[in-house]
Amino acid sequence: MTADRHRDIKLDSWSVVSLLSLVVLPLVTTNPIVNSLAYQVAIGISAAMAIYIMLRLGLLSFMVPAFMAVGGYAGAILAKAGATNLLLLMLVAFIVPALAAIPLGALVLRLKGIYFIFVTFLFNEMLQLILFETPSLTGGSNGISAVPPASFLGWSLDTPKALVLVTGLVCLIASVTTLMVTQYFRAEFTSIEENETLTESLGVAVWKYRTIGFVASSGVAGLAGFALVNMLSTAHPSSFASWSVNSYIAYAFVGGRGTMLGMVVGSLLLIAMTNEFAAYAQLSVGLYGILLLVVMMALPGGIVGTCIDYFENFKARSAGNLKPATNER
Amino acid sequence: MESVISAGVIGLSLGTQYALISIGFTLIFGIMGVVNFAHGGFYILGGYFAFTLTHTFGLPFSVALILAALATGAVGCLIEIVFVEKYVADHLATMLITLAIYQIMITGITLLYGAEPVQFRFPVKGSFHGSGFYIPYASMIVSGVCAVAIIAVYYLVYKTRYGIALRAMADDGQVARAQGIAPVMMFPLAFGIATALAGLTGALVTPILALEPTGGEAVLGKAFIIVILGGLGSITGAMISAFVVGLIEAYTSVYLGGSRGALALLALVVLILLVRPQGILGTVARRA
Amino acid sequence: MSFIHRSLSKAVADLGAPRLRVEGASKRFGGLMVFDGLSFDIPPGGVLGVIGPNGAGKTTLINVICGMLSLTAGSIHMGDRDITSKPFHVVSRLGLARSFQQTNTYSRVSVEENLYRAQRFGAQRIGAANKGPDLGIAGLLEAFGLSGHLQERSDKLPYGLQKMLGLVMVLATRPRILLLDEPAAGLERRERTQVDRFVEHAQTILGCSVLIVEHDMDLVRRLCPRIMVLDAGRLIAEGAPDEVLARQDVIDAYLGPSEEPNHAEP
Repeated sequence: MTADRHRDIKLDSWSVVSLLSLVVLPLVTTNPIVNSLAYQVAIGISAAMAIYIMLRLGLLSFMVPAFMAVGGYAGAILAKAGATNLLLLMLVAFIVPALAAIPLGALVLRLKGIYFIFVTFLFNEMLQLILFETPSLTGGSNGISAVPPASFLGWSLDTPKALVLVTGLVCLIASVTTLMVTQYFRAEFTSIEENETLTESLGVAVWKYRTIGFVASSGVAGLAGFALVNMLSTAHPSSFASWSVNSYIAYAFVGGRGTMLGMVVGSLLLIAMTNEFAAYAQLSVGLYGILLLVVMMALPGGIVGTCIDYFENFKARSAGNLKPATNER
Repeated sequence: MESVISAGVIGLSLGTQYALISIGFTLIFGIMGVVNFAHGGFYILGGYFAFTLTHTFGLPFSVALILAALATGAVGCLIEIVFVEKYVADHLATMLITLAIYQIMITGITLLYGAEPVQFRFPVKGSFHGSGFYIPYASMIVSGVCAVAIIAVYYLVYKTRYGIALRAMADDGQVARAQGIAPVMMFPLAFGIATALAGLTGALVTPILALEPTGGEAVLGKAFIIVILGGLGSITGAMISAFVVGLIEAYTSVYLGGSRGALALLALVVLILLVRPQGILGTVARRA
Repeated sequence: MSFIHRSLSKAVADLGAPRLRVEGASKRFGGLMVFDGLSFDIPPGGVLGVIGPNGAGKTTLINVICGMLSLTAGSIHMGDRDITSKPFHVVSRLGLARSFQQTNTYSRVSVEENLYRAQRFGAQRIGAANKGPDLGIAGLLEAFGLSGHLQERSDKLPYGLQKMLGLVMVLATRPRILLLDEPAAGLERRERTQVDRFVEHAQTILGCSVLIVEHDMDLVRRLCPRIMVLDAGRLIAEGAPDEVLARQDVIDAYLGPSEEPNHAEP
């Protein structure tokens, strides 16, 4: 195994392990600020992971809010119908969007680059309209309220502590899924992103791997949506507005698009910042903008990427080797 | 019968507005390979400029219109030079950079003017009464101004030396440079023109609809739809599809109801994109 | 390897190599007809050179045979199998592989990672050849001077090394038929015999049939017992190199040797 892959697996695995803290946090502290931050970060990270999977294929999917909505609403409808088992809800929240992603992927994945972005952007708008037009199923513009919280083995997990714990758990599962998919198919995804023609010439069915990535990304997004709905006990169209994707993109790029650690760092940093400036809520959007601009123009690897580059150069230089090490990002 | 005519008139009016917005967007994309996610921001900026010029400085609306368009264009030009120029032809980078700029713009506007809609009214009231239908004078003026602007853009792009040079740059930058066409100010100017058009449309339309910081959000989606349909990079395509979209939107909202109509339109666009990805008149001017 | 060993393994490998048959192939792009009604075949283990002035349709021919582009008319058979409309990656998995004129490696990662990927993807090969003999890649890396550069990023290598890396990677898919698109383009004079080495290796270990599009006439003479001349999409001559290259119409088509492609081309 080459050095880069080894390092990246380690980084990604450690970032998943760090998420255990989100699950443990509500158990060790009742501080509402910390808990609020924890659950927001958990949801943010899950959504960022959905973006991350597609980024490994070189695609920026604007459809994450739409799949979040599908997963969130699916869970809400099921819970209202009486089935509140946590495991069942998580399964449904993953599978329903994943199934939807198969035919959608067949349509959308043929498109490259900017066309892909445009169409996925438009799909978000379509989903909002579909939500408005199906009041009997989705509550239309009012959404579905009073969604019963998930339960497990007869325990209704409805205390604030339990809700945060569930959110952390969902985030953990979403991240483990991301880790598995992106590491197992790492060679294929990266090769497709870097040089699709060469990869095809070596016998790889590119469409298959794109679809796998798209399906995984939508399932993970569904989990994020479920976590959001469960936390708020409400499934409402405004939680899944098209422009919410900008925040997830900001987490991904500011944190560092090349590793899962970047998703964690980006979400943590930006959400913490938003909470800090809670009094100036409108400022946070502008702040995200400034950070994104800085990253895009000066630090393309994001925070984590820049740190990795720095460490690699440092290591290489102190080893007396002036050539920077190879890096795969 | 009346509703058919009314809807048609509304549709055509929408068509001129959408045309002005999308021509700018596709101009930037086709010629510079820049995906301007801040386009809606320039639209609303034009509205706010016009509002300030009329309400704070008491200028007449027509003057405010022109100044607002110019001011927006100037801002666009500056933004291009500072932030975008280096990333021309990189779709993803320009997309994210302009997205970030959009967020900063909107936050700035919110800080200056507040998040609530401001009272910006069109100076001309009343409507023209035809046999059984109304056309607000405001709509007529807006359509008229937009139409004039569209003609001006056509003239600029197809008849002037600058326009020809710009199109040469789009076709083959290297060759154009070899001919001695210096791109240093060409791109900023093109960007400025496109954003000025967006700003002009905003200044015209927001007094009729509403002026608030989030008013530009829908613009981007519209621009995407129209430009995909018409073919990225094709100005004539953008124009035709702007009218198609405007008319479809007007008729579906009258006969189907708001969101169903919008849904139908989106579904149509996606379908067309899958069958003919290059749109009605698109060429593969730049690799997607 | 001794001569007997080599011919024996070649004979054994030959038994599996399919015949490539192109019949009535036509390719049109809108109004432009690139070639029309082209027919030829390559016997198992054979080597066919394809030459012709620039724009004659040679690269398009490769693109069409390997499945990157579709044929407007005609058919392509690999042995008994009709591969005319099969997608690019399927054709590769069936054992028909191509190289590219420009360097084609994964430029952002190391040589070692490139080889790892080629082997990982090549393992998707359909057919019993999966468990075939050791490909001898280590030996090739040594011969081409790549063994000392395994940890280096492939885009930091000199052009010639990148080109050879690309060829070695193609081998990892265990092809039976190789389409080489100007393998010597951009290589220094003295590096070009590496192409000979590569082709010989492919033929010996895998029993490959090879189609080589080339401009280097010396290389063509060395490696190809038979060549085909394409001019403006038409097959104007076919036969042994010495004969064909002496023909007036072939010389006229070329108006002298064509230019060597530039190293600096991206």
